Amino acid sequence: MSAKISLGIDPEELASCVACGLCLPHCPTFRVTGEEWASPRGRISAMRQVQDHGMAVDQAFLESMDTCVQCRGCEPACPSGVLFGSMMEATQAALVRNRRVDWRRWGFRILGHRRLLHFLSRVLAVAQRLRLVPSKRLGLPLIPLAQETLRASGEDVWLFTGCVMDAWQRSTHAAVKRVVEMAGAGVALPGAGAGCCGALALHAGLESQTRALAARTMKALGGSAPVLVDSAGCGAVLKEYGRLLGTPEAEAFSERVQDVHEWLAANADQLPSAGQRTPDVTVAIHDPCHLRHVQRVHQPVAEVLSRYATVVMLNDDGLCCGAGGAYAAMQPELAASIRVRKLEAIERSGAEVVASANPGCTIHLANAGVTVRHPLEIVDEALEYDR
Amino acid sequence: MGFSRADPLVKDLRRVLSSDRVRAAPLERSIMGRDASIFEGGQAGPVCFPISTEEVQGCVDAARRHGRAVVPRGAGTGLAGGAVPLEEPVVVVTTKMNRLLSVDADRRMAWVQPGMINLDLSRATAPYGLHFAPDPSSQQVCSLGGNVGTNAGGPHCLAHGVTSAHVLAVEVVLMSGEAVVLGDPDGWTPGLDLRGAYVGSEGMMGVTTAIAVRLTPDPPAVQTLLLAFDSVDAAAQTVSAVIADGIVPSAIEMMDKNIIWAVENFVGAGFPLDAAAVVIVEVDGLPGGVAEEADRVAELAVERGGSVRRAADDEERALLWKGRKSAFGAIAQIKPNYYLHDTVVPRTRLAEVMNQVYEIVEEHNLQVMNVFHAGDGNLHPLLLYDRREPGVMDRVHAAGSAIIEASLAVGGVLSGEHGIGIEKRDFMPLMFTEADLDAQGRLRRAFDPNEMANPGKVLPTGASCADVNALDKVPEGVWG
Repeated sequence: MSAKISLGIDPEELASCVACGLCLPHCPTFRVTGEEWASPRGRISAMRQVQDHGMAVDQAFLESMDTCVQCRGCEPACPSGVLFGSMMEATQAALVRNRRVDWRRWGFRILGHRRLLHFLSRVLAVAQRLRLVPSKRLGLPLIPLAQETLRASGEDVWLFTGCVMDAWQRSTHAAVKRVVEMAGAGVALPGAGAGCCGALALHAGLESQTRALAARTMKALGGSAPVLVDSAGCGAVLKEYGRLLGTPEAEAFSERVQDVHEWLAANADQLPSAGQRTPDVTVAIHDPCHLRHVQRVHQPVAEVLSRYATVVMLNDDGLCCGAGGAYAAMQPELAASIRVRKLEAIERSGAEVVASANPGCTIHLANAGVTVRHPLEIVDEALEYDR
Repeated sequence: MGFSRADPLVKDLRRVLSSDRVRAAPLERSIMGRDASIFEGGQAGPVCFPISTEEVQGCVDAARRHGRAVVPRGAGTGLAGGAVPLEEPVVVVTTKMNRLLSVDADRRMAWVQPGMINLDLSRATAPYGLHFAPDPSSQQVCSLGGNVGTNAGGPHCLAHGVTSAHVLAVEVVLMSGEAVVLGDPDGWTPGLDLRGAYVGSEGMMGVTTAIAVRLTPDPPAVQTLLLAFDSVDAAAQTVSAVIADGIVPSAIEMMDKNIIWAVENFVGAGFPLDAAAVVIVEVDGLPGGVAEEADRVAELAVERGGSVRRAADDEERALLWKGRKSAFGAIAQIKPNYYLHDTVVPRTRLAEVMNQVYEIVEEHNLQVMNVFHAGDGNLHPLLLYDRREPGVMDRVHAAGSAIIEASLAVGGVLSGEHGIGIEKRDFMPLMFTEADLDAQGRLRRAFDPNEMANPGKVLPTGASCADVNALDKVPEGVWG
């Protein structure tokens, strides 16, 4: 691909970067490469070359854009409030509009088809047991052969179950559901109606897929009950439906969305305290980027978890772990280099277990041999001891 | 001019470095065309990412064989355009040379590679109770090699001195390809202090490949005060009074009303929005002395109508400093572009020059914010503008010149810490005589006879009597 295209980025947004460079150390790809085009400032500079100066989209441009994890760690670091995430989304969408050949366009479709996804997952699970799949190289977790069935217990709150997480990590949803119920709420489930939230499609620039998935998700999670989300990446995009679709309906929906830890922290008085028999574990909290940088609600994880475990924070300024949704599969080398920094921070913390509220991070870190749990799995287990 | 894969220079460089570490695509060269200054449109040749001294030597040798200049670059956070490449030189980026080579806690020194980030060094030496004292506002991102190049300052340089006081020795690759060590890690140099000549030379003598830094013990006690005043005059008088009283705080920083507003919006540190100016004063040392000095500073402020807030803990201290250090970026909430000036005036003339700055800016129909190292009279007026506004650049540059002239008129100097780069190059004759400039040119050519290291910076051309003059003017388009 080498063509002059319009990126369609809001000119005001594109002009807002003053090139001070304060974002650089907060960018995981700049941290590991030291290369300007792998930094937010360099990427914005590249976008300006294409949009403002008519430079052709070439291999160097694609590399600069596609190496971005879209962690958005640059946004809270930016004193000028540059909206990097939306500029990157616009750029990715422009590349798709200009017929970039990309397997993701078809690959991510599967995520929207629940029965197909579950069927393929089952096939994959069997193939893994027959050692037909190089799981580690592909960054895949061990997919369970059978999944327990979740049943609704009321209508106080929705629990968003998503696509891959529902197919591969449903036991996490089960644990989350039990903890929310312990806090006194009846949990409603979207069932087959809501699948993929559209996050991966959004990050790949697949606009129409994103919109279609958003519409379906909103329809499946109707009414006025809070929508609780136990995956940081999904929660971030559900909260952005308002911005993405620009309709009053979508805005109202996004208002209802909460990360499950946010909701639990607000309802903490309803939760039983840790029992005497709960073993003392030291847990390091890894903040998923889309919880810390996008939703900016990573504190409640520590608030909830510290009631049941000894919590330590990682001292790496919340830098990304390299998972980034489909990033670890698309850019395996960079994703692994980024992960090294995270592993060093985990090592320094001295913790035995890492808690992460995002399936992508969980899988990526577990592939490097780290014991990773969802924070609420740890809480669920602690509560289990007293049941 | 393009650089294809088949370009002989690119091929030569790729013999020295792996091919993924020599980049020459038009987009990559255009991204390297600027740093954090207002100068856009620099023209980079091939961009190299060496990881060792030997590789830097290889890059320099290849550039020399092809008659190309060499521009060293760290994190690209310079504000004077020192790393902006002119006429397609080989750009040697040191960001991949970012290791801490050794720490000697007993001798309070460390050897570092030039691409190491300033703050990363202090973090790495924190377990020894040591830190690197120069702390530019960009310390979380700027590289130590860049700090050496510009002889960088920072808020805490008031008591501790600027970078030059914290560099014991440097390893430099000269344009001949030879690697030399200037200075001595034990801190005493026989003969001429070549290290002293090199620090602050803005890449015009060679490429820094390793630095022996002095480490400073962390102070046992620190107190940070936020003083708020109804007038800039009262704030400036308090600054002078503190120094006159014999106190040398580790930092004295001033911010005016406009910048307080912008920063508060970003950080939420509780800066008073109704004050005309705030002054952050930090005193450190032994607990008894610190308490006494902090009380005295508070007293002097109150006598001049100021109000005093003391940071209760490290968290509050960090928040106040975050406000101060993110000031430059925060202004984009108001206008998309800024031109950050850097001049120094005698401390006693601070208020007078600041008032002149306000007048100059009004005359040129621009907005200004002031945030600066008041303790050593280092002014940083920020001119705000939107470069898409027709004719605005002329007004920005006219106001800039007037500010420089006003600073020099009261006995000030051109630059406190950002360096001269491209920005102040043509103002050098306002400060130095022809004989001064000639002497500086000859000193530079003692290291780099053919002027191939970062040409076109600092020294106005014409003042140098060299036969080689790579550039006689800043190329079209560089000035915004």
